[in-house]
Amino acid sequence: MARSNFRPQAWINTPILISFAVFGTMPLWIEQAGFYQYLGLEILIWIIFALGFNLLLGYTGLPSFGHGAFLGIGAYVFGLTQFNVVENLWLGLIAATVLTGLFGAAVALFISHRRGIYLALMTIAFGQILFFIASKWTSVTGGEDGLLNIRRLPADFWLFSIELQDTAMLYWFAFGVYAVVVVLLWRMVNSPFGKAIKAIKQNEQRVAFLGYNVRLLKGTVFTLSCAVAGLAGALFAMAQEGAYIQVMNLQWSGIVVLMVLIGGGFVSFWGPVVGVILYFVARDILGAYTEAWLLWFGLLFMLLVMFKPEGLAGMWQDAVKRLRNAAKREAVEPAAPKALAE
Amino acid sequence: MLYELLPHILNGLALGLLFALVALGFMLIIGVMEIINLAHGSLFALGAYVAMAILAPDGGIPLSAMEPWYDLSPWIRYPVSLIVAPVVVAGVGMGLEVCLRRTYGKDPLYGLLLTFGAALVLEEIIREIWGPSEYFLPIPREISGGFIFEDLIYSTYRIFAAAFSVAMIGLLWLFLNRTPYGAVIKAGAHDSEMVRALGYNLRILRMLVFGFGTALAAIAGVIMAPIWGIRPVVGVDAVIPAFVVIVLGGVGSFWGAVTAGVLVGLVVAITAAFLTDWSLLSMYLLLLAVVTFRSRGLAGKASVLER
Amino acid sequence: MPLFEAIHLHKRFGQQVVLEDISLSFEENRLSGIMGPNGAGKTTCFNVLTGHYKPDRGEVRFDGQDITGRPPRLIARAGISRSFQLMNLFDEYTALENVIMALPQVRDRSFDVLHDLSANSDAQDRAAAVLERIGLKGHELALASDLPYGQRRALEIGVAMAADPKLLFLDEPTAGLGTEATAQLADLIRELRRSVTIVIIEHDMRFLFALADHIYVIHWGQVIAQGPPRALQDDKWVSRSSLGALA
Repeated sequence: MARSNFRPQAWINTPILISFAVFGTMPLWIEQAGFYQYLGLEILIWIIFALGFNLLLGYTGLPSFGHGAFLGIGAYVFGLTQFNVVENLWLGLIAATVLTGLFGAAVALFISHRRGIYLALMTIAFGQILFFIASKWTSVTGGEDGLLNIRRLPADFWLFSIELQDTAMLYWFAFGVYAVVVVLLWRMVNSPFGKAIKAIKQNEQRVAFLGYNVRLLKGTVFTLSCAVAGLAGALFAMAQEGAYIQVMNLQWSGIVVLMVLIGGGFVSFWGPVVGVILYFVARDILGAYTEAWLLWFGLLFMLLVMFKPEGLAGMWQDAVKRLRNAAKREAVEPAAPKALAE
Repeated sequence: MLYELLPHILNGLALGLLFALVALGFMLIIGVMEIINLAHGSLFALGAYVAMAILAPDGGIPLSAMEPWYDLSPWIRYPVSLIVAPVVVAGVGMGLEVCLRRTYGKDPLYGLLLTFGAALVLEEIIREIWGPSEYFLPIPREISGGFIFEDLIYSTYRIFAAAFSVAMIGLLWLFLNRTPYGAVIKAGAHDSEMVRALGYNLRILRMLVFGFGTALAAIAGVIMAPIWGIRPVVGVDAVIPAFVVIVLGGVGSFWGAVTAGVLVGLVVAITAAFLTDWSLLSMYLLLLAVVTFRSRGLAGKASVLER
Repeated sequence: MPLFEAIHLHKRFGQQVVLEDISLSFEENRLSGIMGPNGAGKTTCFNVLTGHYKPDRGEVRFDGQDITGRPPRLIARAGISRSFQLMNLFDEYTALENVIMALPQVRDRSFDVLHDLSANSDAQDRAAAVLERIGLKGHELALASDLPYGQRRALEIGVAMAADPKLLFLDEPTAGLGTEATAQLADLIRELRRSVTIVIIEHDMRFLFALADHIYVIHWGQVIAQGPPRALQDDKWVSRSSLGALA
């Protein structure tokens, strides 16, 4: 009995398959839905970024408010590899992932034993410092103009090669990256590591007293989230065909926090996905009516923090639970009224 | 060489005293409510914008009925802005406190997220009303410009800013230590339960302290405006030194905050003397250094910062 | 040689000396107690013994090794577990998951990102066994936050037991419990002590006197008396301190 509800989690579960069905076909219907191909690409890239970021915020409870910097670094590394080393897609992606991860590890050295306000302010400081360096180091990053003319390199698979110039083709490639990332992350959050970081969020002190190396765990999850950000950054560089400093500023770092919480990252693996989609839908639909759409998004965030920090996914989970309980009661009660009537 | 630094040292003093003012407001809020108000910087910025709306006919809220107002002498408009801006910001601050009530008692992460969200929202509101470009605060001519003293150029305004900050800090000290209201606030910072037991309405006290603390930030924002310029992003640059100051000076120490503020100001100003672009960055580097090497603050006991 | 020894511990916070020359020893398989009024230093003492604080002077030895100043996680790995007075459970986890996280086999694989923890039936079996032992059979899948207070207390001890420790420190295990729950807790501890050395810090003197083989009385930062319960009842220091009235 005890074990029957404690289901092992497969590598690929139903929600993942649904996401494959939705995102895997998006270029085919996105224009009919009234949108445009590039939007799908943006959404997917930010989903990858947000899923990695949620490991930090939603799962471990670490408020990193400077994470946009790592998305930016990934983009720059991809561009610089392309310009200065070799024009190879795979190498660019690997370089972006690994080097951004290393940057993350370096930052983690300073902050991995911290939490709460100290962590938040340190990450803001690092974000601002990296933003500053990117905007001043013109010879490397192109400064305020950015790194221009980053090419969408072809994907070489041994025997054949696929051109990714077309936005829809780049989208399919990004979808492939998404598929790998989401499966790996899903397994990670169900692994001993994933359960440990979730325990850290609930009670860091207890986890230390149980014998875990909390500092190393926190440092590792920070590094991993930066590596994922780097990978997303590389895709971003190809999407924009350039790397720019904007995404490294505090506002963008804040936007991913908003996305993740609104979506329900604190209680659900899929929260970040919901949050990212909501953000872009708000931007494109609300944005047509008012310039202040980001303001509304921010106010929504504040309201949710005050009244429902579990976010949209949390509300969904509540609704599902209520329906299940109602169904259970339905199954049990019908007998009673009849007895009374007699 | 050192002699040539004198104007920069004056600048640093002015800057540092302003940082101290912001930090003191920040600290009052921490003391009474144990909240780290990440929106403190945005309220600082809001103060500058409201002052500008009152002072500048072209950069503020365009109300044609207000035109006769802008014809008045700046020496009338400026003091009015120094009063109205903090009052407006205090109102916004108190509103924020009401929002924060929902997060009391919960995981402090939520309070942190809420003030972070508030900072972003405030910045967006500022952008919506005033746009993203930089404004300048039209101050009375008499306190602007510079003068030459023994071959070095000094900024008149910095002297005014320093003097004004000294006066504000002095008034604040008097208020906290020589008035019954100040005594209640200090008691509240020390032991809020006791204050409640003594019959004070803790909810109102908290709200008023939040308003008061943010009003201090607003005044500092108005005074800082001619030095830093008025831009929506100026908020972050204001909250970081406040945090550095309280880590350096200790969460409960008034004069510790003032001293630490002046120190931070000097670091920023002297950096500006040698590497102009890096002056603001020096604040962030200072934060990293201070937090890395001074993990427990002066008193050594775990403070609310460590939750 | 005692299993655990504290030798001449000294600890101060700022100007305040909280522990002054405290020496304790706990023999294997004994149930020892630490007693004393609030503010006497017993909580600080406990925190020093379990690695939460470093003593300014003195030594802490476990199983022949010097563990003075070691961080809590290394002390846990050495075979010492502690429960907490202000309960330190994982509220979003089920009772079963709380215990699973405490198992050494899970802790030792904390960087494993490739295996599904829910598929680890061995871990689940062991955790279920611990839950059964502490009386929570049938509540494995209840969220820790949903459990009633008495069961949370039991779970708290279960989590500490899960690591199969050689030495178990219990910090005020009866706090907040009513008479019946306290009696159940006493039964549980009597059962546990057959396989693990236990040290209990307690307020409730009757509870401690009924269970412990040996008790240290700490007051004013010092050990003012020690010995088997019956001997303490006659001790002049115990009766002079505020504890005397209760003994």
